Amino acid sequence: MKHIFFIAFLLTVLNINSLAQNDTIMLDYVEISASHINNKVQEKAMERKIDTAIMQRLQTASLSQLLIQHSPVFIKTYGPGGTASASFRGTTASHTLVLWNGLQLNSPSLGEVDFSMIPVFFTDEVSLQWGSKTSANSGGLGGVVNIANKQKFNEGLILNVKQTYGSFNTWGSYLTVGYSAKNMIARIKAYRNSSDNDFTYTNIATIPHQEMKQKNADFVDYGVMPELQVRFKNSLLSLVSWNQFSHRNYPPIMPNAFNNTKEYADNDFSRNLISYKYYWNSGRVELKSAYFHERQDYFLESYTSNGLPVTQINTLNKSDVFRQIVDLQQDLFRSWKLYAKVQYDYESVTSSDYDLDRDSDLSRKNRDIISFYAALDGKIYRDLDLRMTLRNDIVDDKSAGFFPTATLTYRMPFVKGLSFNAGYSHNYRNPTLNDLYWYPGGNENLKAENGKTFDFDINYLYENVNFNLDFRSGLYYSKVNDWIQWVPTNYRYWMPKNVSEVMARGFETHLKVNYNFALWTFSVSGNYVYSHTTDESEYAQQYDANGKQLIYIPKHHANAFAEVRWKSWNMNYTLEFTGERTTSMNDDEFFAYQLPYYILHHISFGKQLNRFRLEFKINNLLNESYQTVLWRAMPGRSYEIYLEFKL
Amino acid sequence: MSNEPWAIRLGSRLMAHSSMRKTMKRQLFNIFILGLLLTFVSCKPGPEPTPQETNIAKGLFVLNEGTFTYANSSLTFYDPEADTVENNLFYRVNNAPLGDVANSMMLDETGMYIVVNNSKYIYKVDPKTMKYKSKLDGFTSPRHIMSINKNKAYVSDQESTGLWIINPETMQKTGFVELGNTTERMVRVGNEVVVTNWSNFYQPETSNSTIQFVNIDSDSLVAEMEVAPEPNSIVLDKNNNIWVLCSGGYLPPCEPALFCINPSSREIVKRFDFADGDYPSSLTIDDAKENIYFLNGGFGTLSLYKMSVDEETLPSTPLVNSQQSTVNGQSRVFTNVIISEDDDIYLTDVKNYVQNGEVLRYTSEGEFVTSFPAGIVPGAMMFN
Repeated sequence: MKHIFFIAFLLTVLNINSLAQNDTIMLDYVEISASHINNKVQEKAMERKIDTAIMQRLQTASLSQLLIQHSPVFIKTYGPGGTASASFRGTTASHTLVLWNGLQLNSPSLGEVDFSMIPVFFTDEVSLQWGSKTSANSGGLGGVVNIANKQKFNEGLILNVKQTYGSFNTWGSYLTVGYSAKNMIARIKAYRNSSDNDFTYTNIATIPHQEMKQKNADFVDYGVMPELQVRFKNSLLSLVSWNQFSHRNYPPIMPNAFNNTKEYADNDFSRNLISYKYYWNSGRVELKSAYFHERQDYFLESYTSNGLPVTQINTLNKSDVFRQIVDLQQDLFRSWKLYAKVQYDYESVTSSDYDLDRDSDLSRKNRDIISFYAALDGKIYRDLDLRMTLRNDIVDDKSAGFFPTATLTYRMPFVKGLSFNAGYSHNYRNPTLNDLYWYPGGNENLKAENGKTFDFDINYLYENVNFNLDFRSGLYYSKVNDWIQWVPTNYRYWMPKNVSEVMARGFETHLKVNYNFALWTFSVSGNYVYSHTTDESEYAQQYDANGKQLIYIPKHHANAFAEVRWKSWNMNYTLEFTGERTTSMNDDEFFAYQLPYYILHHISFGKQLNRFRLEFKINNLLNESYQTVLWRAMPGRSYEIYLEFKL
Repeated sequence: MSNEPWAIRLGSRLMAHSSMRKTMKRQLFNIFILGLLLTFVSCKPGPEPTPQETNIAKGLFVLNEGTFTYANSSLTFYDPEADTVENNLFYRVNNAPLGDVANSMMLDETGMYIVVNNSKYIYKVDPKTMKYKSKLDGFTSPRHIMSINKNKAYVSDQESTGLWIINPETMQKTGFVELGNTTERMVRVGNEVVVTNWSNFYQPETSNSTIQFVNIDSDSLVAEMEVAPEPNSIVLDKNNNIWVLCSGGYLPPCEPALFCINPSSREIVKRFDFADGDYPSSLTIDDAKENIYFLNGGFGTLSLYKMSVDEETLPSTPLVNSQQSTVNGQSRVFTNVIISEDDDIYLTDVKNYVQNGEVLRYTSEGEFVTSFPAGIVPGAMMFN
């Protein structure tokens, strides 16, 4: 049935295509970017792009570092080489949708993305979307982190080599080679990153507290990403393949620092995308087809009295995901635009954690989703724009319902650059395959989570030759019903249930200022986020947990960045502030229940020398001793040297 | 690490640059404004509280397991005379956590011992002040400790197949009694220790339905008896019989049963079978060794039952019904029971396993007396 829908839509699209004019449109960048400030305002509603200059500074970092230092997204990290998950607008990791060139990366088994596994190096653009801007996909009840690969034509030979060396025997090598011709780009990126990660820390869980070396924390990651883009008359064909491998040892928590357990995970994945875009004067259509294969092998072992190993956990999880997208953008009358998308997803997980078949160690579960989406966007009165969207998903042949959103954008007529957005959105999130099929406990009767969000933003953008300022501030209120939580049962295992009703409300503010003066350039930017997230369900009330902040979501977090450039020199300073977080729903003042706030300072100096660039970085300048996750040791002050050659 | 408010640190850092150009100053001023904005955030000092002195009276210790891998185990002390409770005792005295999943306690003439399962160590503390004395680590998955004499104790292990022998005085491992099965609860009968083989989850080739008799002089296995799957608790009564409670197994069909065994003839004196679906646990006995108490019911709905050791049938009605003792409409989730020397009953209520639990105190007739708050997942209890 769904295949017929799909084909019907394809035919419609092709039909539109044939009606379109056949003028050649030479496109430099894939997106058409408007230079007029008001258009920028409109496009930027409920959306923010991470500054490319900042991305350049963090080429050798992971996306988790980029986000915690330069965005309102909070990252919960287990330390270098450990899992890093995101919390966007007071929600959890599984409510933060990650799109890679428009395709969901969230693991079908866990629902999350490990941001430590996304090297900034493999991205060309990172942007955030929230509220009604998340409506094209399900799952982003908190928000969306978009990562994209974008290249310019006609740039000639591409050669870029980056090498880093830092404390704890940390090595990183990054290579980009390729050629950008008039109508074709071939580029290949490859990297390897490894560390002994045996930093010294103060173990405050031992008696007495003692300086210790982190053990069993070494890791190695490597990846390769070949890309090809070919530009034809009116169309563009792109192929990209993102392949990554990692072996990571997981260190024990502080109280267990003397344990002889061995814990590690091997992760590898291959994400492949082919897309074809066809343009005409008033619109475009794009076909995308993707196949993702991911594999994770997790292992935990301890040793008996006679030194023999006891395997406590040895699990294998594999996922295969196919995603097919057709999307269309068409200018209608006046300022009105139509955007439509049909997507078909097939997600399958093979796992040793699911109910096993008798004759196999692994069990396979799958799901398919077909999704119809349409958006209309245009001016309703002078300076007032409206964007409306509607989506209907069919999950395993069952309709998930209709999900509408609406956003109003008002541009102040006499104050150039000042605008207001107000949005309403309704979205949902499917239970993960683990929630449905985990053995024991998986609950096939789970409903999807269902969230409604109200947003209000103020944006102010000022630009002139030497000075520009970008200020945004927003309020949000979301209510997620049927929030899934694993709860104890009358059996000897826990079970996910739609028990919680989570309310997330908060405030975000962002400021960015750039100023040029003679040979000097000054940039300052910062984010502050207040988020208050509570469970107001009957279930929470039974345990007096209603009204209490959910665990690991800081009420306050902030970051600030300042850079000074003079001729070919630069210096930058980064501050990261993470407020107090609760790790349980208890009010007691017990270190293990309430993690104290911390502030990290990072500084770096750089110098451009013709085609070479040299940087020296000091992370955690004040050698702050802190914990992001309870009893997980974090490194103190560390140093890094960075050398880049760019043709 | 200085304790001055961080905004001052940031401020002075920024001011240090103030000799730079005016324009620069303005930029920095912006950062400072942002900094000020951040100071609305509560500024608490870092995690360095001063250790607190304590002097333990006569009463009940409650060991709270906490959440697996969160290492938020804690120790609670309750003084029944004064009806006062002190939580997070170990952390407050020693300024360090107990560890990950504290499982059991033992008190003897040499000190007080706390077995921390997933941290794989045993802490020795001063029984009066709760001050940390020493640590013994390197176990595989330690569960319980039983004192044999001043220089010898046995430690059971859920993943190693036998009992560790330690010297509690010097806190050193002195040997290992190989039994071929993993070990759980122990009871002393004359010059033998009877140990239950509760789990074969990590050692699938071994037995989880036996009890074993270990001679404490030779540290060797002398006999083995088959009971039902998962013998989780064991006590000795006034007739010198041992009682073994079996939850019946992990996978259906389960075979929950209670055994009364003569330890010298190694014969089953009485056997009581529970209904399929029951999950009996936490067998304990009063001071006179006349009445046994245990929990039974569905896994999350266990109620307390009392039974005389001379009885020939299982009790049909609970002494304390978890489903009738509710708070906010939520029934109690009992996981452990202990009887005081004046026959008061103490039951742990773990609530939803992620919040602080409670301990409920009842008279020997099952009349509610009082309750007091404990930590996350209150489990083992011990009178001093």
